[in-house]
Amino acid sequence: MGERIEVTLTVNQRKRRAQVEPRLLLVDYLRHELGLKGTHVGCEQGACGACTVLLDGRTARSCLHFVAALDGAQIRTVEDVAPSPELLHPIQQAFHRQHALQCGYCTPGFVMTTLELLAGNPDPSQTAIRRALTNNLCRCTGYANIVKAVTAAGKALREGSQA
Amino acid sequence: MSARPARYVGQEILRREDDYLLRGEGRFVDDLPAPIGTLHLAFVLSPHAHARILSLDADAALALEGVVAVLSGADMAALVKPIVAEIEFPGYRRHGRQVIAKDEVRFVGEAVAVVAAECPYVAQDAAELVEVAYQQLPAVVRLEDATRPGQPQVHDEVPGNLYFEGRFATPGIDAAFAGAAHVIRERFRSGRVGGVPLEPRGCLAVPEHGDGMVFHSSTQVPHLLRTALAQYTGQPESSLRVLVPEVGGGFGTKAQIYPEEFVCVALARRFRRAVKWIQDRREELLTDIHARDHLYEVEAAVDDTGLVLGLRASVWTNGGAYSTLPFGCTLETTGGARMIVGPYGITQYAYEARAVATHTTPAGAYRGVAQPTCYMAIEGVMDRIARRLGLDPAEVRLRNMVPTASLPWTNVVGVRYDTGSFVESLRQAMAMIDYAGFRARQPADRLVDGKYRGIGICSFTEVSGTGAPGWRARGLVRLPGFDSGIVKVEPTGKVTAFVSHAHSGQGHYTTFAQVVADALGCELADVRIVEGDTAATPYGTNTFASRSAVTGGGAFIRAAGKVREKLRRIGAHMLEASVEDVVVQDGRVHIAGVPGHGLSFQQVAETAYAMNTATLPEGESFGLEDSDFYDPPLVTMANAAHIAQVAVDAEDGRVTIERYVVVHDCGRIINPMIVDGQIQGGVAQGIGEALMEEMVYDDSGQMLNASLLEYLLPTAADVPNYEIAHIESPSIDTVGGFKGVGEGGVIGAVPAVLNAVADALSRLDININTKPLRPSLLARLIREARARPG
Amino acid sequence: MKPAPFALAQPDDLAGVLAALARHGEAARVLAGGQSLVPLMNLRLVRPAMLVSINRCAELAFTERRGDRLVLGALVRQAEAETHPLVRAHCPLLAAALPWLGPQATRNRGTLCGSLAHADPLAELPAVALALEADMLLASQAGERRLPASEFFQDALTTVLRPGEMVRAVAFQAQAGDERSAFLEIGNREHGFAVAGVAVRWRLEAERCAFARIAMLGAGPVACRVPAAEAAIVGRPLDAGAIAEVVEAARAAVAPPTDVHADADYRRHALGVLLARALRQGDGQWASGSR
Repeated sequence: MGERIEVTLTVNQRKRRAQVEPRLLLVDYLRHELGLKGTHVGCEQGACGACTVLLDGRTARSCLHFVAALDGAQIRTVEDVAPSPELLHPIQQAFHRQHALQCGYCTPGFVMTTLELLAGNPDPSQTAIRRALTNNLCRCTGYANIVKAVTAAGKALREGSQA
Repeated sequence: MSARPARYVGQEILRREDDYLLRGEGRFVDDLPAPIGTLHLAFVLSPHAHARILSLDADAALALEGVVAVLSGADMAALVKPIVAEIEFPGYRRHGRQVIAKDEVRFVGEAVAVVAAECPYVAQDAAELVEVAYQQLPAVVRLEDATRPGQPQVHDEVPGNLYFEGRFATPGIDAAFAGAAHVIRERFRSGRVGGVPLEPRGCLAVPEHGDGMVFHSSTQVPHLLRTALAQYTGQPESSLRVLVPEVGGGFGTKAQIYPEEFVCVALARRFRRAVKWIQDRREELLTDIHARDHLYEVEAAVDDTGLVLGLRASVWTNGGAYSTLPFGCTLETTGGARMIVGPYGITQYAYEARAVATHTTPAGAYRGVAQPTCYMAIEGVMDRIARRLGLDPAEVRLRNMVPTASLPWTNVVGVRYDTGSFVESLRQAMAMIDYAGFRARQPADRLVDGKYRGIGICSFTEVSGTGAPGWRARGLVRLPGFDSGIVKVEPTGKVTAFVSHAHSGQGHYTTFAQVVADALGCELADVRIVEGDTAATPYGTNTFASRSAVTGGGAFIRAAGKVREKLRRIGAHMLEASVEDVVVQDGRVHIAGVPGHGLSFQQVAETAYAMNTATLPEGESFGLEDSDFYDPPLVTMANAAHIAQVAVDAEDGRVTIERYVVVHDCGRIINPMIVDGQIQGGVAQGIGEALMEEMVYDDSGQMLNASLLEYLLPTAADVPNYEIAHIESPSIDTVGGFKGVGEGGVIGAVPAVLNAVADALSRLDININTKPLRPSLLARLIREARARPG
Repeated sequence: MKPAPFALAQPDDLAGVLAALARHGEAARVLAGGQSLVPLMNLRLVRPAMLVSINRCAELAFTERRGDRLVLGALVRQAEAETHPLVRAHCPLLAAALPWLGPQATRNRGTLCGSLAHADPLAELPAVALALEADMLLASQAGERRLPASEFFQDALTTVLRPGEMVRAVAFQAQAGDERSAFLEIGNREHGFAVAGVAVRWRLEAERCAFARIAMLGAGPVACRVPAAEAAIVGRPLDAGAIAEVVEAARAAVAPPTDVHADADYRRHALGVLLARALRQGDGQWASGSR
């Protein structure tokens, strides 16, 4: 097993301290040590985006980061997106209303990508949306409804209303 | 069949599945809590396409802390019988597969040993330390080489590497060709692809007290899986419960039963510990079934008006190294040969169909099964007829189609098309894309702004909801055909409905609830669907081949109808009315026309469950539930027309899809939003298959692109906005009038995109008869064409 | 798959990093963003015994104008550089290329120096570094050396970096105000995984090309400059005839690889197509960067 490294990081606004093997991937830490299983593993090569989380506010592939090297980092996962057990975030609402998910495996990654996109560009063009969504692969939806959902979510967030 | 007005069926109802999936609360197989002490598996994969295993040394692996066992093929052979796909079809040669290769490996990625360890990281460390000595043997890889004399043999039981050979001919086929004004011949070659769901496969076997076993698997076929596991591992079927968690995309890939599942159960039995295996992406691309490695040689006898008088097809499919349960390796072979006539009224037809063995990943069922390639062939032929005779390709299709007035129609291989809209679908799609306007504007050289612009059509029938006779016709004697449902009104009046299906993104919790609510006459919110649990749900054929709406919907309508009748009988008794005067509607049982004079489901249920002082009618049984099966016809034929409009860059060869139109007819629609979603996702897969996806092997049998960095899936930037419309021709042969829709997207997109590119390049005399159409291929063809004199 | 075991050192400064690299020699690899390295580690195609993270070395996160150079430290992330005012002002070619490096998530973490040190045959930055005549600032405990990018890249995934040595910074030549430039690439998908690409800059004087730098990816085992093409254009007006000749010169000079994505013929052809497009469109101070 080798030496373990102590790290402190903030995950979904909660401070976490862990002793980890250097090779432990962030996605395995989130999933199997913290039980945050909404972040999924699709390829472990950074190609699919199913494991996308926000790392210090920007999207990152959690399969390409070692927890041991993330001391002090701020992580946000899909579990920290909805404001309450009753309410969905406007992005999640838009995905629901536009039928932008089928099997749901890639969906948390798309939600995180959309959070980053709309934070930086509240009114993206369709081209900008499609470009940003190349961050993630989806095999079910054919993407068109995801593009619609991102458009609707942007509008809802701009107007401060629900999608 | 249901004469009752639909309240929910046909409505765009948002999905119940979304809330938990969007919150990250969907529980996929790797998300399930594994018991403390669970063993994690890692497989040692063969690096060779064909080799003899000389020795296997696991000492170093076993010495690693945390490793519990390493098992070879011989070790596993003692625990699991060889897998044999039981296909009974003249011309089919049976062969077996050890779940872990014992003496010989037959494709790169075939497992030669399995490691069980305390954690997945250590299991992989140990797998690397297993030393296997191989004697490498020559491999046969390409379909075209498999049956040539002197090639390496894949199986002793399969002489000449011919898994299957089948023939069919109508008596008048030769005469049709003899008298034809024109004969159009073409050869179509299709590249090998895979389903590539975003979630790789995985399973978790948990022994329970006694001889019990709970088996969680990312499968599309829980019941077939349970039976197979019992047959091959000896685990009694009655003490084996298969549970399907959320499944991250299936596309048919997960409808096969794979060796790892047998290994997992066998080791859980052997060690009496929970055993878990999660596949990685490389394993997914190397070992999940592949599809579409096909060659079609087609000739059509045609008269001067473009009418097809006869069709001959020679179908070759690469079956890979083994037959896989439950479909074997001939699904696309028999499928392509039987489906190729599509919506056309071709009455003289002959085929020769062959599946060959090679040292490559086994072939199986991937969304669309055979249809993307057989329509690539027939729709390619329709375009060639048009070009040869100077006709419009749409006109050639319309002339050859079975008109709606001629339905029901039994096609040349005996498949009945009960209802449909072949002509109407194509005409509507042409109107939507302004086909006439496009043709009028299209310059002779097809060049607009430096790009070749073209338009391509695919009109097709879509096999769905296959019943037992349909599987028998293709030799699949162990594939049942029926599915089943149980509908229960609980004592509080809420409804639980159990179905033999298992979802992988189709939205069953929503759509089946719509069907049950209408069939029973209750509120949608009161219905909950249970599936994917063999301990709770009735047996069935499960979820693949666009079955669930037809078979599950039909079973639910029948079962709910029985419960509705019981509600009426008990309600009438309680209301002191005659049964004929009582209806079930909107969650109440009341006197017809007098909704106020009635009972709630709960009031009736309390009587049924003896929870009040009321009595049951004479002879009535307790409880308020019933079940039924539904075995659909031979097949249930949906149909559609796709039209793609593309631009091909004259310099760099890149294809841009500028517009994409679909008119689909899946009979009675349950939920239009979900139907559109199925079509959109399928079209995107078809675009991937047409333009970029291909599993590439070198001559030694190495797969060269077993990663998502190299096997390219389309992204959001590669697909167009889809324009979709529907025609509803309810099936008159199925309960409920439903037809399937799961595969139409991919089926139509492959030929439509290919034909659009072919149209764009038609003035250059470029023959598009292969896929994928990567920029490198198209740029070369364009350069060569431009360099040709004249 | 999961990576093989390794030890991790996370020094707080460059001296500590260099000391750790010296101690472990060939067994050590530098961990910056990890976006090239970790995929290979997950596949166990690369298995360093020691990873030395530079992520705590704030001194390596700098972007500075120094004379005629724009110098970016080893910890500058690709996404940061993409929007950095100094990059946009002085190296528009680099700014144009950066969006093509990969998806947003990997650009957020991946560093410029990391991508250069990885020397992927189809990576964008090596070509940009060659076109911008970058100097690679290499550091080890033995001291610093400064090498032009043209001497840095040796072969696919191979550079002149020695055991114990790392890329401390990259110093791009600042582009002159009247310079024109373009980055274009093409792949089998709309975005991601180029099969060929060009990074081109030039200056016109009296309507004639006074200066040109042409670099390509997918033209050989690793990115390369194409001097024959540069020579074919300098001194001439950028008209259709000249562009056709420079394209021919470039196609004659390159020896592209064949792989699963494209064959050598296509790459040779596409490189010419892209070069012609670049010379036709890169007609402002701001570089164009597109397919």
